[in-house]
Amino acid sequence: MTRTLLWLLAGAVLGGIIHIAVILTLPALADRTIWTRVEGLQARNKIVLLPDVKPGEANPFSLDPALSYGLCQLDLAEGPAFVNGIMPDAFWSMAIFNRAGTIVYSTTNRDGIGRTLQLGIFNANQTRLLAQQQIDIAEGLLIVEAPSDQLFVVVRLAPPHQAVRARFETELSKITCGPKQ
Amino acid sequence: MFHLLAMIVVALSVGFGLSWYALTDGRLFGVLQAGPWAAWPDVGSAEPNPYTRAHLARVAGLQLGIGEGLQFTAAADSDGMPLTRDCTYRIQGKTPVAAFWTLSAIGPSGVNLARPDGTATIRSTAIARSNDGAIVLYVGKRLAPLNWLELTGNGPFSLVLTLYDTVVSSGISSAQTTMPAIIKEECL
Repeated sequence: MTRTLLWLLAGAVLGGIIHIAVILTLPALADRTIWTRVEGLQARNKIVLLPDVKPGEANPFSLDPALSYGLCQLDLAEGPAFVNGIMPDAFWSMAIFNRAGTIVYSTTNRDGIGRTLQLGIFNANQTRLLAQQQIDIAEGLLIVEAPSDQLFVVVRLAPPHQAVRARFETELSKITCGPKQ
Repeated sequence: MFHLLAMIVVALSVGFGLSWYALTDGRLFGVLQAGPWAAWPDVGSAEPNPYTRAHLARVAGLQLGIGEGLQFTAAADSDGMPLTRDCTYRIQGKTPVAAFWTLSAIGPSGVNLARPDGTATIRSTAIARSNDGAIVLYVGKRLAPLNWLELTGNGPFSLVLTLYDTVVSSGISSAQTTMPAIIKEECL
């Protein structure tokens, strides 16, 4: 009896090890990652609007139907990246994702930025050059240091009514994004 | 021989069963629970814990950053019964402080279940409220008064409440998180 219990206990311990291994390796084993989905959008160095979520249709990015989304893929190996635009007067927010789909930086218009989106994204090396004043940047630029080179930026915009949605999305698509300031 | 087999069966079922549980329900694994609502609180942080990381890999969606907001989902009503489209539900109470919030109903694969030519989501800025600011929303297929999210089809569903620019994500404990109740009304 004790012997059986010991075997079962060993099984439970082994199960715990399997569990930890599954949880830790799952992100590496997934083949349809957020990065492969983003690559499919062809949004390198430009803002691409994500299609609106409609009832009954697939929603692979788990988007909120009330919001409009702009996405832009960046590679800091090409140099520091800049995201510039004037946003419509409504709630908006932005997040910078790394390759693994983890958010390295996020902010909203309520953090005192107002309607101007003016962001510079630098890797560790470029931040050092920036500190040594070897990179010229515009005044008032919001500086973000990113831990890795391959990133994508998601800008969320919440049109207050459906009627203004098309106009707001036009404004959203005017955002510039890429290595040019 | 029997012992070895038993050990392997226990190891596999514990290992994979626990992993599946952690990523679906996840109550014991860092999921923030407030009544029927659940959220992964560090989903938008730069250093999520391994469970949140695995959850992110599984969903592969565009989650909200920690400064942007927090998304809650509920697959059961306040009595713990699974949500089904055979019934109408009343969502009543107060929501945590946020710039605004939206409420949608989704199916198991994440498809929005609202009536195709109707409104896909209820938005906090466009609803009728009582004098004390509390909300009363109805979700279901049968015509309902006040604020009604009309659903289509049959089967189970989940409610998704997304709070934008909320205080919940800035480290307020779950005990102080007041979420609205989900109350079952009549069923077909």
